[in-house]
Amino acid sequence: MTVTLLSNFHRTVSVFAPVKVERSNGKLIYEREGLRKILPECEIVVNPVEPVNLPKNVTRYLEVEFPPILLRPNSTETIYLKFPIEIGVFAKYGDKVTVVDVFSYEKPKYTLYGSPRRGVVCRWFFSEVHYDIPEVDRLRHGVMRLDIRNGGDWVEVGKVVLDCYAMKIYYDSFASCWAEMRVISKSVAVTDFLDRPIAKGMKKALELYTTRRLMGKSFTMEWGLI
Amino acid sequence: MNVTGILLFASFLAIGVLVAKVVGMYIRRTLSDRIPKNELNIILRVANVGILSIFVLSALPFVGVNPTGLIAAGGFAGLVVGFASRSVVANLVSGVFLMIERPIRIGDQVVIGDVAGFVEDVQILSTIIRTYDGLFVRIPNERVFTSNITNLTANPVRRFEYVVGISYRDDAEKAIEIIRRIIEEHPFALKEPEPQIFVNELGESSVNIVVRVWSPSAVWYDVKTELLWRIKVELEKAGIEIPFPQRVVWLRRETDELGEDVPS
Repeated sequence: MTVTLLSNFHRTVSVFAPVKVERSNGKLIYEREGLRKILPECEIVVNPVEPVNLPKNVTRYLEVEFPPILLRPNSTETIYLKFPIEIGVFAKYGDKVTVVDVFSYEKPKYTLYGSPRRGVVCRWFFSEVHYDIPEVDRLRHGVMRLDIRNGGDWVEVGKVVLDCYAMKIYYDSFASCWAEMRVISKSVAVTDFLDRPIAKGMKKALELYTTRRLMGKSFTMEWGLI
Repeated sequence: MNVTGILLFASFLAIGVLVAKVVGMYIRRTLSDRIPKNELNIILRVANVGILSIFVLSALPFVGVNPTGLIAAGGFAGLVVGFASRSVVANLVSGVFLMIERPIRIGDQVVIGDVAGFVEDVQILSTIIRTYDGLFVRIPNERVFTSNITNLTANPVRRFEYVVGISYRDDAEKAIEIIRRIIEEHPFALKEPEPQIFVNELGESSVNIVVRVWSPSAVWYDVKTELLWRIKVELEKAGIEIPFPQRVVWLRRETDELGEDVPS
């Protein structure tokens, strides 16, 4: 994943096929699978973004399901999960940024967390549990570090639901994010994204939802942890 | 009352209108990303009316009117007007209760009585619906309040159902497998609650398979139409027939003593 200036964009654009950018009459023509936009001279930035936009934005939540792990009372466990990414194309002029396009190589799937009356729709993804940073297909998946803090009795955890409007993605050769889960009881936990990279030297990605005023970034998982 | 008083009164009103506009603009800018549009509209209206009322009441002494007396007179006049316009008051009260109970919000898809469509606005006296064929319908709030309201998008998800009939010659298990794969491939056919696909009935002309799928309420109609067509296409591709209703009719043939056909 690379932040690119227009001057070297054509060298890296093949990575993002089928995206095409051409200069014509002092304008930039952005094309991808039938989408065509005319942009003024600007810097084009491509980076991983929150995976809740495709095929259409219907939710702000991401659920990553994984094989259940058992946690001892009053313990902390750090695991690494894969999560799906979408790729955002931004136009940047000075310090002002606007989104041009979002696409993905990963097929999305959605699910419901909770009851049909009061639950939330989530982007769904299944990941194996890793105890070290796993290898990922960098255009499809990122690595999530998840710190699970269990302040109570024995508990089994098999999924995490997070509010992607507060997601902070960092990247270099792959995308990553850092999340925390505070287990309150066998069926309740509070989840947060942390604003820090999981490895040194990672660059913070431009976000789609920074301009929105956030009402709160924690999510309370109250309909079970498996 | 003198000219100076009238000028002061007018100036106060003008300042009031200006302040109301500035405050309204500020509220809109600050809250438009934070709260739903209908709540924002209510806040804007309350702020607007509140500010204007304060300025009008403050300016009244300039034209020689005592606000205390006006309020008392206003209360009496309100009673008279209330009795005279009972339906208006009923709509007003219903509107207030609708805003408190909030069974519908702007943008929801609803069925109120025999009107179905999108809620465009919930005003103090009436509710505005844009029907699916684009018509503007104004329903008095009293009727909204006393009608059965079906809010199609109040819950985050909803279920739809098809009955797919296949021929008796075809393999129902294979058909179920194909339908399951199509549903799994669709992003908005939810993983949980799990879709249900099962043979429900041995019908007159077909083996009937029931397909139940949950989808986000915001996109359920698109998902419903997309999936139905894909199921039809994929079943046909796999050589599974979706039969027309059919009936086998046996005609009895009768003959007379000489072996000639006679009409039966």
